[in-house]
Amino acid sequence: MRRHWPWLFAALVVPAPAVLGIATSVMLSRAIAPEEMQSVYLQADVAALAWICGSLFSLLLGAVFLIAVWEHRRDNAWRAEIERNQTQAAAQASEEAAEDRRRFLRRLDHELKNPLTAIRAGLANLAESPSQDVQQETLNSVETQILRISHLVADLRKLAELETRPLERTPVDMTALLEEAVNVAKDLPETADRRITLTVPQAPWPLPHVAGDWDLLFLAVYNLLDNARKFTQTGDTLEVRAFEDGAMIVIEVADTGPGIPEEDLPHVWEELYRGKGARGIPGSGLGLALVRAIIERHGGQTSVRSRAGQGTVFTLRLPTT
Amino acid sequence: METPKLLLVDDETAITDNLAPFLKRSGFDVTTAADGEQALKQVTSFQPEIIILDVMMPKLDGREVLRRLRNAGNWTPIILLTQVGEATERAMALEEGADDYLNKPFDPHELTARIRAVLRRARPGKPPLAAARQLTCGDLRLDRQARRVWIEERELALTPKAFALLEYALTHPDEVLTRERLLDAVWGWDYPVGTRAVDTRVAELRRALDDDPSNPCYIETVPGVGYRFAGTVESA
Repeated sequence: MRRHWPWLFAALVVPAPAVLGIATSVMLSRAIAPEEMQSVYLQADVAALAWICGSLFSLLLGAVFLIAVWEHRRDNAWRAEIERNQTQAAAQASEEAAEDRRRFLRRLDHELKNPLTAIRAGLANLAESPSQDVQQETLNSVETQILRISHLVADLRKLAELETRPLERTPVDMTALLEEAVNVAKDLPETADRRITLTVPQAPWPLPHVAGDWDLLFLAVYNLLDNARKFTQTGDTLEVRAFEDGAMIVIEVADTGPGIPEEDLPHVWEELYRGKGARGIPGSGLGLALVRAIIERHGGQTSVRSRAGQGTVFTLRLPTT
Repeated sequence: METPKLLLVDDETAITDNLAPFLKRSGFDVTTAADGEQALKQVTSFQPEIIILDVMMPKLDGREVLRRLRNAGNWTPIILLTQVGEATERAMALEEGADDYLNKPFDPHELTARIRAVLRRARPGKPPLAAARQLTCGDLRLDRQARRVWIEERELALTPKAFALLEYALTHPDEVLTRERLLDAVWGWDYPVGTRAVDTRVAELRRALDDDPSNPCYIETVPGVGYRFAGTVESA
């Protein structure tokens, strides 16, 4: 209705001067014209009125038609613009997905190449070596490489499964979970010479529970701790801190390690990504991708900050129950 | 020495070519089949005592072979080789009457251990415990379809993981269940320090079952290895 009121207004106002003119003419002719001429004047007025109304009506029709054509064209242009934008966005998204896939395949190829080369070399050795000691050594080495590939495959399956498998959602006491994860990390022989601390609030109230899968959340926190252990050295500090922030629990795992180069930071959560600093350090390149998948399945977010030479802090944000 | 007749079914010749000689050396009389149709023919002609069946195969997949055999009343013990480690896939394998399953890739020694356990457990001509809808052990009753457990008339509140653990233990009584095997079977994949997760869940289960670890009626600790379900299990 709102769209039509200017037309109604125009239809009432535009003929108003003509109607007024005709009315004046009729009144004047009654006042001054002789009796026998009255009907002639009246006919002339009616004719003029008909002429004016007809012209105005034609003008109005013409204007309506022109405006309708203009609106139609404008809508079409808008629609085309929206469609163009949507197509562009879809093309960009599919291009990004294709690029992700290419990157993933390149990395997978790289991860498989080394153990496979080692296995082929080992088998060639085995066929030619007469010494039983060398044979045993080769067999052990081949087995190690096969286990490496098996772990990679198992981790890839974990990632794929995480997207689809139903989550067990029970109230998880994050304080207890963090304590256990830190205790497990402290028990590892490799962390004996690192300082590991845990800070969780007790006052005025402890951390609220999170609805989730204890084992998966434990895996996420443990992976971050294990990562911190791998990238730090004797005397470094590992800090686990947790606090409540509105309806979220924030968990930070910080270390005084070498830090992550700025150009690597945006990629650390990607599958099989191994930054410059990570070369030579054992791992599948799937640990952080698993952390991200677990936290996102729980409705949370992950982020990372780092300074070269000072250290890194990984942050997990999880919605509370 | 007795050499049980074993039918190994897998469409991947790289697997049958390497696994068959290993199983022969482990003391089995092995015949292989490359797909589901061949497998069904071999079951009739070779009459195996146990079948190792791959799930993903051309023509007739392992699941369909299992279904046809069970529908025909054939209860030859079957171990499924699954590629997909998903929990639903594993539950389905057992519901359809498989005696056990093993996720690829596996250690061949683990396979022979499972084969021997299944053969020991087999009740000739009868459905395996793994295919039963309801399992009982004394006062304990577990309904696998309803996913509920009772002791006498009292229903126990178990988390899904603890339920799956109890279900696996009840379907594999009197077998040593290593923590690694429980992780693989119940969790579907290993965790770092996952063995701790198993211990936590077993403790939860013992509390719920009111089972004294030092004098257990149900779950026994096998020191340094894992656990064993000690009770006598019946299918109801």
